[in-house]
Amino acid sequence: MMFQDDGSSSVTSSPFQNSPMISLSPGLGSPYPLLKELKSEDRGLYLIHLLLTCATHVATGSLENANLSLDQISHLASPDGDTMQRIASYFAEALADRILKAWPGLYKALHSTKLSLFSEDILVRKIFFEVFPFLKVAFIVTNQAIIEAMEGEKMVHIIDLNAAYPMQWHALLQDLSARPEGPPHLRITGVHPQKEVLDQMAHVLTEEAEKLDIPFQFNPVVSKLDNLDIEQLRVKTGEALAISSILQLHSLLCPVDEPHKRSPLTTMKSNGVNLLRASQIKQSTLGDLLQKDMVNGQSPGADSASSSPQSSAPAVQIDGFLNALWGLSPKVMVVAEQDSNHNGSSLMERLSESLYFYAALFDCLESTLPRSSMERLKLEKFLFGEEVKNIIACEGSSRKERHEKLEKWIQRLDFAGFGSVPLSYYGMLQARRLVQGYSCDGYRIKEENGCVVICWQDRALYSVSAWRCRR
Amino acid sequence: MIMAASNLSNPMFFGGGGGEEDQSQMTQQQYSAIPTSSTPPATAQKKKRNLPGTPNPDAEVIALSPKTLMATNRFICEVCNKGFQREQNLQLHRRGHNLPWKLKQKSTKEVKRKVYLCPEPTCVHHDASRALGDLTGIKKHFSRKHGEKKYKCDKCSKRYAVQSDWKAHSKTCGTREYRCDCGTLFSRRDSFITHRAFCDALAQESARHTPNLSTHIFGSNAMNLNLSQAQIPSNNMLGLGGSGAKLEQLSSSSSLFASQAPRSPFFMPPPDSHQGTFQDQQNKQFHGLMQLPDHLQPNTNNSPSAASNMFNLSFYSNSSTANSISNSTSDNNSSFLMPDHQYGHEGNTSIYSGSNTHYNSTSHDHQKQTAAPMSATALLQKAAQMGSTTSNPSATLLKGISSSSSSSLSSANKFQRGFNSIGNPENENQQLEGLMNSFANGHPNSIYGHQHDNTFAGFGGNAMRLEHQQKRNFGNMEEAVAAGKMNQNFSASMGGSADDRLTLDFLGIGGRVRKMSDAFSQREQQTVGVSEMSSLEHPKTGPSSQARHVFGSPALQ
Repeated sequence: MMFQDDGSSSVTSSPFQNSPMISLSPGLGSPYPLLKELKSEDRGLYLIHLLLTCATHVATGSLENANLSLDQISHLASPDGDTMQRIASYFAEALADRILKAWPGLYKALHSTKLSLFSEDILVRKIFFEVFPFLKVAFIVTNQAIIEAMEGEKMVHIIDLNAAYPMQWHALLQDLSARPEGPPHLRITGVHPQKEVLDQMAHVLTEEAEKLDIPFQFNPVVSKLDNLDIEQLRVKTGEALAISSILQLHSLLCPVDEPHKRSPLTTMKSNGVNLLRASQIKQSTLGDLLQKDMVNGQSPGADSASSSPQSSAPAVQIDGFLNALWGLSPKVMVVAEQDSNHNGSSLMERLSESLYFYAALFDCLESTLPRSSMERLKLEKFLFGEEVKNIIACEGSSRKERHEKLEKWIQRLDFAGFGSVPLSYYGMLQARRLVQGYSCDGYRIKEENGCVVICWQDRALYSVSAWRCRR
Repeated sequence: MIMAASNLSNPMFFGGGGGEEDQSQMTQQQYSAIPTSSTPPATAQKKKRNLPGTPNPDAEVIALSPKTLMATNRFICEVCNKGFQREQNLQLHRRGHNLPWKLKQKSTKEVKRKVYLCPEPTCVHHDASRALGDLTGIKKHFSRKHGEKKYKCDKCSKRYAVQSDWKAHSKTCGTREYRCDCGTLFSRRDSFITHRAFCDALAQESARHTPNLSTHIFGSNAMNLNLSQAQIPSNNMLGLGGSGAKLEQLSSSSSLFASQAPRSPFFMPPPDSHQGTFQDQQNKQFHGLMQLPDHLQPNTNNSPSAASNMFNLSFYSNSSTANSISNSTSDNNSSFLMPDHQYGHEGNTSIYSGSNTHYNSTSHDHQKQTAAPMSATALLQKAAQMGSTTSNPSATLLKGISSSSSSSLSSANKFQRGFNSIGNPENENQQLEGLMNSFANGHPNSIYGHQHDNTFAGFGGNAMRLEHQQKRNFGNMEEAVAAGKMNQNFSASMGGSADDRLTLDFLGIGGRVRKMSDAFSQREQQTVGVSEMSSLEHPKTGPSSQARHVFGSPALQ
């Protein structure tokens, strides 16, 4: 077999290997049956190694080697095997996807019949809500922060930057109706790219508000976040504003002008593998609008070659966006984000960070759902798998899953003029109780600088923080 | 009763209807159906009146509180509390109590026009400039837009706040309608289309989704039949089942769920209020103690109460499905889970810092494996630790996979586990098999490296015994050895071509992870004394690993 020849030759050239290995190696006839009998643990370690090796090859553009690694992975990984086999399947797919983008024609042809059913997306997100405590904690903490900030307010306006989960506001309506001073007039502005989702939400919430006799209006804004027109949010003077952003802001971390001044590190230029067709800059209307206000925003010296994503570009979409939100002077803004750095400039950085992150998520699933579960498969494939693909395979403005650590968000929000609002004891308590109620005991709630961090074992996965306008 | 009354004296507001254009554009759609007269459906035909709410500038503006506005009889007799709709009637009534009364005289002057504000502050008609011209109109407006929809059409379940609207609808309902396949009726085309978009998609989804749920997850165990049946209606309820998505249904199911607990209803069902949490707790026990008798209970008494709870919870609440699943699987596998668990807990949790408590509940294919698999996180941490001991990650990683540092660690773990369970006769075979496995894997490496002695030192005297058993019990050792060699070969091939940059990157992470998992590794070393050997062996291991250390220095890079 090809790769074995290749492999042994590289062994001899490698200074890291001790020679006895080669001489004692058995006949290289058919390794695969044996490989398949590896114990789960050894196979897992081997897969990790193969993934890293493959990623190195992808990063350096040596496609032949990358192909060989992928071939080996394919014999060990499996989307319905043990945790590491599953993870490896999706990371391998992501790496392959990245390679494939070197041939845009091929790539497009292979993806031309791909159906993107938004119902699938909705469904998967619902499963995500059900299976994991992450969103529930985020909702509880968000709602509690809003309730506390809105104490005594008669007119409350909430902007939901990801209006896909009516449950959150359903619960808030209940809380508000139980307010000692009586419920406020409530308006919720929901932002979501799909009209149907908003219709659904409007329906559920209006009904509930009527039932609870809370004066309520729902203002649907069909828009993506990156071209959201702030005017559409219809923020009025005199109303107390709250903003809720659940797992949204990271999608705006794309440097506005990245495709023009991309650093050599981020491209795979060697071997002529310039994968990334110049991704179209979709300059957001909002971004355009507010860019002018943000001239001296960032340190000008840093360019995208820097390893720090904070200073990775002079202008990042989010700066304008946060500035615009700040301009609305919300009484409280609650931000939930993935607490992991998947926005590194180099592929290897992102790969290894995301490997840890998604390993933890897959472990959560392993402990909650059986391996044959369709729901689990869907979550892994359509949610996590897609995120991984985006992190690994995409660059520029098409890379949306730019998760960053809480400390980065703290810096960024602080810089944008927001002051931290420590989450209340009661909010923490509720979060803790929720997590304790879970059947598997791997979840933890950690308090960090007044923010909530939800962990699986010791690994931080999601953070929730509350902010207000610092004038 | 009258909260505020002011005279509109500023003519600037009333330059005529045209000045309102942009504001009304926004609200037109919303309010176009609102008549200012009391015959709602008729007004639609009447062309070009003033926009609703552009009152005469001289009119007296009256703002009533919602309560007053909605009071059917707002003129109350203070003696008998009888209410009247009109003040004149009250006055006449007062006469009967011998109270002072006064009927309003038709004034000779022209009656001053009154306009009324909507009490809802966020409403456009809350502004004096958009006040509505008559009391009935404002009442209806307020009911429609901000009030409770008390009147429900029996045919299509559409709700109305104003009785006359409901009557008007009832006359036409069913004469012109749009019916979705899911059974929902719509009288308006636009809402029908909106609904279809959602309904189709979900119905389509459910067609693929439901069978899997019931067959795969619940298996063929008869015990679980009622569970899986309970699951299906709940899916229907939520629009996933064959009947498609009904908006009404969706919302009603959500409210069902909500009604279970008054505060934070979605997230924190009180533990004693329903079965879902009960099951959670059961599961916890199950994880922690593996009490099978206890655990069997939920399955047997599941049928009516659990089923109904599943019905409510399965969609919105956290993991009741999962729980029921693990209940059922554990049932199937209890025979092997029992022994597995006993050492599984003693060995695993201490080694992997508790992350593996779930083995017992999860999967069916564990049956084959004597040792529970490491979690992905633990594997990564292990890989990182291995990577950080030397400079070239691929090489070391690789080595780790097939050779000393990893397999001595893992065999050490298993060894301990085996040791713990030796008193357990029925485990022994399984256990030994696992042991042999790891041992066999460790063996070939020890030939190549110099770890042989170390490993054996770690195992102490028992190693001999193991070797002995190995011969008796373990036929496929040859194969395992071969596999081990295979690994090394692969590792060699992959490792050789690894890039320097990877090295740096990976090391960085390895270092970080190490720091983060300090507690983890400390615990590990406490519980698994032998693993210390593996960390010690690098400095000792002779020429090959010394070489690695040399490579660790930047000079080589």
